[in-house]
Amino acid sequence: MSKGIKPVRLKYKVIGGRSTLLSVALFLFFILLSKQFDAYNQSQLTNIATLLIAVFSITLLTGASGQISLGQGAIMAVGGYGSALLVTRLGLSMWLAFVLAIFISALFGLFLGLAAARLSGPYLAGTTLVMALAIPSIAVRFESFFSGDVGLSVDYGTPPTWLSNLLGEISIEQWSLYVVLPFTAIALFAVLNLSNTRAGRTWRAVRDNEVSAALAGINIGRTKVVVFVCASALAGLSGALYGFRGLVAPSVYPTDLSLTLLTAAVIGGLRSVGGAIFGTFAIVFLPDLIEKITKNFNVPETIGNYLPSLTIGILLLLTVILNPRGAAGALEHIRHRRKH
Amino acid sequence: MNLRKPLILTVVASALVGSLAISSVSASAAGDQGVSDSEIVLGMQLPQTGAASPGYNKVDDAARAYFDYVNSKGGVNGRNIKLVVKDDTYKAGLTITSASKLINEDKIFAFFGSVGTQTHVSVIKDINRRKIPDIFVNSGFSGFYTDPKKYPTTFGGLGTYTVEAKILGKYLKDKYSDKKIGVLYQSDDFGRNALAGFATAGLKFEAKKTSASFIAGTQGSIGLASQISQLKANGVDIVIIAAVSSATAVAYATAAQLGYKPSKWAVISVGADATTFQTILGSKGVPAATSAAMLAGTISASHAPAAGEADDVYVKAFKKINDDFNKGPDKRWDNNILQGMNIAYLATEALMGVGKDLTRAKLISYLENNGSKLSSAALAPLGYSKSTHEAFTGFWIGQYDATTLLAPIDGKRVVYTTDSGSGAVTVSNYKRPAIADDALPKVA
Repeated sequence: MSKGIKPVRLKYKVIGGRSTLLSVALFLFFILLSKQFDAYNQSQLTNIATLLIAVFSITLLTGASGQISLGQGAIMAVGGYGSALLVTRLGLSMWLAFVLAIFISALFGLFLGLAAARLSGPYLAGTTLVMALAIPSIAVRFESFFSGDVGLSVDYGTPPTWLSNLLGEISIEQWSLYVVLPFTAIALFAVLNLSNTRAGRTWRAVRDNEVSAALAGINIGRTKVVVFVCASALAGLSGALYGFRGLVAPSVYPTDLSLTLLTAAVIGGLRSVGGAIFGTFAIVFLPDLIEKITKNFNVPETIGNYLPSLTIGILLLLTVILNPRGAAGALEHIRHRRKH
Repeated sequence: MNLRKPLILTVVASALVGSLAISSVSASAAGDQGVSDSEIVLGMQLPQTGAASPGYNKVDDAARAYFDYVNSKGGVNGRNIKLVVKDDTYKAGLTITSASKLINEDKIFAFFGSVGTQTHVSVIKDINRRKIPDIFVNSGFSGFYTDPKKYPTTFGGLGTYTVEAKILGKYLKDKYSDKKIGVLYQSDDFGRNALAGFATAGLKFEAKKTSASFIAGTQGSIGLASQISQLKANGVDIVIIAAVSSATAVAYATAAQLGYKPSKWAVISVGADATTFQTILGSKGVPAATSAAMLAGTISASHAPAAGEADDVYVKAFKKINDDFNKGPDKRWDNNILQGMNIAYLATEALMGVGKDLTRAKLISYLENNGSKLSSAALAPLGYSKSTHEAFTGFWIGQYDATTLLAPIDGKRVVYTTDSGSGAVTVSNYKRPAIADDALPKVA
């Protein structure tokens, strides 16, 4: 039996090393990219780094464990409100609030997971979609506590003096990126480790065949709850970071945010971490690219305003019809064909 | 999940997508961005699409039409005014992103005429800390303007909801003291700001009885049946509406369906544009004659002449410019177009006033020191000073006639004035300067 355990431990160590390397690489890659970008694209890069964490939550939830959620945006709102309330009402530091937002949303995910473990397929999708619709309106219903539609005004603040002394003048956009990026790198590290260790293998077993997994001794219900907790923690963190761009309010976390995140995951490839990165880049930068193109062709605003959503929608449909495994799947396919 | 080469490859691919989106980075000039020898760039955020867009999506085209007219006459101090517009669909997440785009990519000199209270909340702090002028905001939320220490660069473009509600509230209280007055409001800063004004005027409402609220933006999908039923069940005679135009239209349609006929409707001006009201009801199959009859008798207020006052000199001049220069998809003349033109006229006047040596700090200082002297189509003066950045400080009360024209009650226009605090409502003695023959502002 000891022979069976050893290789697993060995593999864990190897993966730990590689995921650390990849997380650091992602961190440096974003920093280097930001040096090439103007201020607006730096702020878009911050959006990517932020939303990427939420897309990772879908990679875990849907990609690894096969549970569909149309309500990740609502969990982002939970994280956003959690952190913003801690900062505005209790005066906690932003950093502590971000960390606590992870726990608040994980707790939320626990309750959600307990319900979700009993549901699957379209029923689960429907439930989470209702959540995406309902949660932002709670803020309006309990207006005195959550500040209603007006929301809670929060931001990343200003860079500390020691950092400015070290790096020179830091713009608002750069500082936002520096705040978000460490969390993105840690999230990548966590997702890579979760996916490639025993937990991930258990999740995939449940995804591929629940009956076989149960026969192999896996507790299906508990596994699903654990995935929901992990995914919610990630989405909540993303929501907290997203809110600190300026405002935590219902209109910051609309229903279509949940759908946008799912689109990013599908375009990139639901089962791939690399796909999540690609998908997030695509949904953030595509509207800008389209705007540039439409500007050159003098497309009227009545059409131009709808083009980004239309293009992303078509891309999503084409991905699902022609290439269900997304960009990462296509890449894998090409690589496979070259080999053989 | 194979994470070796594909991950690295996708990271590289992502970088390529990102690189494609890089815009050319221009070296920053010595002065403030957005001003060159030949151009002044202004940026506006508004819902051009989405549920909250009807009516308000005409403001940008109207303002641009006026700027194009100014440009055709040589611009301001030799500079053309360029207006860059971003559609935020009335979602704050998008407002934040598009503000960054306007500042960093379009390199605007100032924000101008942005529409929407809820959405502007999300960016006002950032705009102010960057010291970018945020002029003539199309929101009547007094919280943006009454504390210039908090938001030093933000200036209003509408009379505040509080001022309007105080004036309208006083009128209704005096005139209909024997009637049961109720309110339907949207539960956001707009609605609450108006309620505060009504309260100052002595109009108090009872929650769940004479006061009904709804979540802003839900009027189209959920409807307002329960709210209207509540007002009907409590025998409310006079219904005040403090909400956007689309909600006003839904409220009237729902009341008609439920057979509820309050003796009077009173609607806060931003929710009472006749064209928008008729367009929304028209899209639901209500003929124009029917919707006009529904609106007739409604009491509302305005800081400017009614769009339908064809003989007003400003209306006449702006209407001609709208006909000649408006390239928007819907250029039908209405209150939204009048407002868009009017704030563009004010912006032109302010930019002329600052002079050739235009900087952000100078524009803000000019508005604080000379803003109250700027003239426009409005029948009440601007309240700008160092202690407040509120725009129009007065309103007149009118009633819609059968032709959907808001006409002064009893045929005589009286403009009332007050502040956003607890000051009394008094009659204004402001005399509006006439518009020049060339429809361009004249600055001393």
